[in-house]
Amino acid sequence: MHLLTQTLLIAQSAFDVEREMQRLQRNFQFLCYGLIVAWFILVVYVLMMVGRERKLKREIASLKAMLEDRQPK
Amino acid sequence: MRNKIIYGLGALAILLLARNIYLISNFPPERAQGMIFKIIFFHVPAAMTAMLGAAIALIASVLFLVTKNFKYDALAVAVTEVGLAFLAANLITGSIWGRVIWGIWWTWDARLTSALVCWLLYAGYLMLRRAIEEPTQRATFAAVFSIFAFLDVPIVIFSIKWWRTQHPQPVFWGGGSFPRDWSIVMLWNLIALLLLGTVMTLIRLRQEETQRELDSLRRMAHAL
Repeated sequence: MHLLTQTLLIAQSAFDVEREMQRLQRNFQFLCYGLIVAWFILVVYVLMMVGRERKLKREIASLKAMLEDRQPK
Repeated sequence: MRNKIIYGLGALAILLLARNIYLISNFPPERAQGMIFKIIFFHVPAAMTAMLGAAIALIASVLFLVTKNFKYDALAVAVTEVGLAFLAANLITGSIWGRVIWGIWWTWDARLTSALVCWLLYAGYLMLRRAIEEPTQRATFAAVFSIFAFLDVPIVIFSIKWWRTQHPQPVFWGGGSFPRDWSIVMLWNLIALLLLGTVMTLIRLRQEETQRELDSLRRMAHAL
């Protein structure tokens, strides 16, 4: 009887440890997802700003060139 | 000179963030929530950065309406855009945290709903700016809208005090207990995100100046 109880307790403990490890693994996965998404948003925003800056510089350069062409010599 | 300041601040922010991420990864998992609790180190500072952005946008909008100086309008749009990015990061990290702890991605409680409304209002502010061509009219309408949108910010902040919400009470200034060394890293991460937000705002401000230069060049081109 005593042996059976001990075996059951060990099995239960192994099950608990397994479940706790799964929970920690899942927690870690979700932490990674959260951080990746948060940084992804900020990186996308920075890339959008870089793209906008390039576009503005291009437009200014073309407008300046056009104005120089139109200036009476 | 200004570019050097922007790059310097950006490098400092990245170094601080790298240091903080190293420290946070070495902290043990929280007893009840495990590893996912560490998301707080980004979730809360992102919210604080966004709310500070909204407050600066309010002040800049009021100053624009009083002085009609376009530099305040540029500041308002710059901080609003940056704040919106940080608020999006805050909402998404919160949703992922909620999925693990509450078992749901989203709930229509006062804190989450008011934060989403805040995001939508400021997104509406940016859309409104795109819809109006004439610069003075655009800046005036946008300033009034920004002041109106700020009304939601105190609701976001105090909703967890005013109503019963699924969202927990604040860890800071709300009776929560947080280890001292964790609090220090949280503060450093807040400083890092604020620095990052400042760098983004400065870049965005420079773009607004370039846009104004472009507009004046266009006017000259039309006049010729």
